[in-house]
Amino acid sequence: MEVVSRIKKDYIMSLLQQGKRIDGRAFDQFRSVSVEKGIIQTANGSALVKMGATQVLVGVKIGKGEPFPDQPEEGILVVNAELLPLASPTFEPGPPDEDAIELARVVDRGIRESKCLELEKMAIVPGEEVWTVFIDIYVLDHDGNLIDASALAAIAALADTKPPADEAWKLQGFPLRKYPVAVTFAKIGDQLLLDPNLEEEQVMDARLTMAFTEDGALCAMQKGGKGYFTREEVERAFQIAKQKSAELRRLLGVG
Amino acid sequence: MQKPEKLIIDGRRLDGRAPDEMRPLKIIAGPLQRADGSAYVELGKNKVLAAVYGPREMHPKHEAEPDQCILRCRYSMAPFSVEERKKPGPDRRSIEISKVIREALEPVLFLELYPRAVIDVFIEVLQADAGTRTAGINAAAVALADAGIPMKDLVSAIAVGKVDGTVVLDLNKEEDQFGETDMPVAMIVRRKAITLLQMDGHFTEEEFKQALDFAFKGCEQVFEAQRRALKEKYVVKV
Amino acid sequence: MILVQNRELVIPGQKIAEGKYKIKEGVYKEGDEIFAAVVGLAEISDETIKVIPLEGRYIPKEGDLVIGVVIDVHAWGWVVDINSPYTGNLLFSDYLERKVDPVRENPHKHLTLGDVVALQVKEVNERKYVLLESGKAGLGRLRGGRMVEISPMKIPRVRGKKGSMLKVLQDIGGCRLLVGQNGRIVIWAKTPERTAVIVEALKRIEREAHIPGLTDRIRLMLEGRNVKDAET
Repeated sequence: MEVVSRIKKDYIMSLLQQGKRIDGRAFDQFRSVSVEKGIIQTANGSALVKMGATQVLVGVKIGKGEPFPDQPEEGILVVNAELLPLASPTFEPGPPDEDAIELARVVDRGIRESKCLELEKMAIVPGEEVWTVFIDIYVLDHDGNLIDASALAAIAALADTKPPADEAWKLQGFPLRKYPVAVTFAKIGDQLLLDPNLEEEQVMDARLTMAFTEDGALCAMQKGGKGYFTREEVERAFQIAKQKSAELRRLLGVG
Repeated sequence: MQKPEKLIIDGRRLDGRAPDEMRPLKIIAGPLQRADGSAYVELGKNKVLAAVYGPREMHPKHEAEPDQCILRCRYSMAPFSVEERKKPGPDRRSIEISKVIREALEPVLFLELYPRAVIDVFIEVLQADAGTRTAGINAAAVALADAGIPMKDLVSAIAVGKVDGTVVLDLNKEEDQFGETDMPVAMIVRRKAITLLQMDGHFTEEEFKQALDFAFKGCEQVFEAQRRALKEKYVVKV
Repeated sequence: MILVQNRELVIPGQKIAEGKYKIKEGVYKEGDEIFAAVVGLAEISDETIKVIPLEGRYIPKEGDLVIGVVIDVHAWGWVVDINSPYTGNLLFSDYLERKVDPVRENPHKHLTLGDVVALQVKEVNERKYVLLESGKAGLGRLRGGRMVEISPMKIPRVRGKKGSMLKVLQDIGGCRLLVGQNGRIVIWAKTPERTAVIVEALKRIEREAHIPGLTDRIRLMLEGRNVKDAET
């Protein structure tokens, strides 16, 4: 646990009273975001997202595997996240800790619950063999808001994905039904700040992530941190997040 | 993958290179913000990222050395870096590679300057096409210099091998998989001091000598690229 | 024999000179040959050779003024993070500069977790155990202000020759700065906008530290902002 200096917390709080953030952004403004697809040729699909100085690389690999016994005709989705020790002095090598697991599961939720993947068409031999879509989230540089960067990189990598050259692949290309996009707020004092940077995350009381599909429906949500949100804050966040997710979605280049 | 009938046709390799030709090499110093030092290397189709943290406090404290710094090295491959997805986490191969990379870099560091501390080197292979440990060393050396860690010199690495009876420089994936020999080498170019040397396969004495010649030649080119990368970082438009 | 120009950018292992010279930081000697040990600017004077590093962590030296963050509290005093591979220990008595009764007095009343404090490095031994004290700084706990971290190697540029850059930042920039050797700087300015301008200037100094004429460039930048502020 890093000890945050009193000066940093005081400074951020005093700025907030004046309606300002340390990097001069508006409360509902994203940092500059870029999406680059097709970076890794050994992957079926890949994307590198930069959100401010945060950098996340996602690779999609498609392989064969055994279906779950209770869903013999469904393909499998596996989402894994690595908080690489490259990315922050606080990340240690080793198996995923609770932060890495939470990150993977939140991104997974957005993709799975939006039903953007046609998993029901990915059986090879029902009950025996199905296609498995592996989404590997590689956090390269941590400057806050890993969830939004990872979720955006994941859907961008899926949009970039080409199916395996295998006659057992029955779908036309790699179709996506939806494009879920996540938007996260940090709560500091009474204020909700969109896309917290690292310093804001270090002093925040709580965070709230909402993922939307393009029809404005909510498909995943996660509250994190020790603090709390009032109902009014949650509903206000919903409105802002819905709008902002559409802005981020435009960066996917999916028409 | 099917083994190609010939790996050398009319004196040229399958990707068109001459036996003593390296793949294209690109190096960028300092691509990461959080790390104390970092470097990105593309060697042919390899894409490797290295980051350095340190010197920093050693955890757990009881593993620290009272009168010198410890160098820790972790080489790791991304699940999507290879054709068949690789499960995340260290395997025997990456643990061995981590060790030999550490031992390739240790000779150039002044570890006695930082008692009780640790220098961590993290190498992540994002896309693999044979020669990842050499690309990793090249990135790690630049990352160490980028972090301002005092070094006697840079370390440069390249692999040499033999395909279809011909000694070749900088094997690509097919050559590594279907060739007769693979010999990664790392050295301090200016001193001609070899700090990593591994080999598996078959070499006559003659072939081995030629392979060493190729390795020295290749490492010189790598060193030039590393030097350029470090200097380029400081070209700032004022 | 000198093999590089003064202020030339050199890389580790590059031979700088041959001969009987005195060496300072950033270089190492093998016999009569002198090599750079870090990426930096070679500085050649009549008798000494050194390389000014462009990056690197802060290693505490006795007498340095440092800005620390308290990360642990004990009956004997505090453990302070000084942005270094080595933490510093601050004894209760060294902070208050008097004898202290550990039974009666409570260290939390003076400094607690997260407090930012200006201190002096009292002592560093060969194992790099660091003792801190109030020393000449005497400023103790810092309040208000914005703390910024830059590469400790660039701190001399923030001061400038005979304090020239510091003067430009404070007088023309309109702020008060406390500069720690360990790369931490605290800024006190009238408005957050002004603070943001100073932070920008400091980041620019960090980026362009190796390029001559920096003090003038920063002066121009700050004067330009003052004009803009006056106009709005």
